[in-house]
Amino acid sequence: MAPQPVIRSKQAEKTINGNQTQVVCTEFSNYIFIVLTQYGKIGTLVSITPDTRSGDISVPMYTSKVLLGKDEPLTHVYAKNVATFVSQESGNRPILLGLSLKDNSAETMKTVKDMIKSCQVW
Amino acid sequence: MEAVLNGDCSSHASADSISLHDFSEKFLEQRVYFHLMKLSGGFFLWVGTATNPLISNLAVSILSRTDSAPLSTLVLGDTSDTTASALAQRLTKKTKKQVFVSYNLPVTDSNLLLLVENRIKQEMELHPDKF
Repeated sequence: MAPQPVIRSKQAEKTINGNQTQVVCTEFSNYIFIVLTQYGKIGTLVSITPDTRSGDISVPMYTSKVLLGKDEPLTHVYAKNVATFVSQESGNRPILLGLSLKDNSAETMKTVKDMIKSCQVW
Repeated sequence: MEAVLNGDCSSHASADSISLHDFSEKFLEQRVYFHLMKLSGGFFLWVGTATNPLISNLAVSILSRTDSAPLSTLVLGDTSDTTASALAQRLTKKTKKQVFVSYNLPVTDSNLLLLVENRIKQEMELHPDKF
């Protein structure tokens, strides 16, 4: 019945400091959708968009916006930290990030970034 | 670390792992694709075509504590288009779960929406474990 799926998706799972951590990366034509969770949920939904004005001059600036959930400064810091490299590697595509972590430490962030890298769909 | 392509994760997935499921159906000479992500206590559903698989909108719906009608809102896209949030609301009503919906088909065709919704319900009966 169904031919090839049109949506490309990759996922990874790892236990970090005793917390089961899951990453799912999905490629849509206008967004790369990343779910990063230790609750199995989408949680706080953040969009990370590169600013268009920067053009071809080195690294663009990013605007993060909380679409759903608690709008805390740390959410923006964390979202930009884990997701901007994906945008850069994918030719400045916008990112949609679902973020729900129990452990927001810097070491965990390093590990989850590696997990996101392993789920490259861009 | 494991990276799995497109949903074939049943062999090593633990009970509460996020699972992915794809299906498609041809309606009125047009193939419509469905991409489903099962989450803890809910799911994410994308509906669209192969020509331009984008997320033009995203609605989320949850059960209300005080009202029999679920609460639904659009978090991304054109708020004047209520298709995605209405669909999310109806899916929450049916499943009692938190539902994310991205609906990327022409909204002028209400007949198509009806067919799409029936196909989703059919898939729920065929694969209840995927939702």
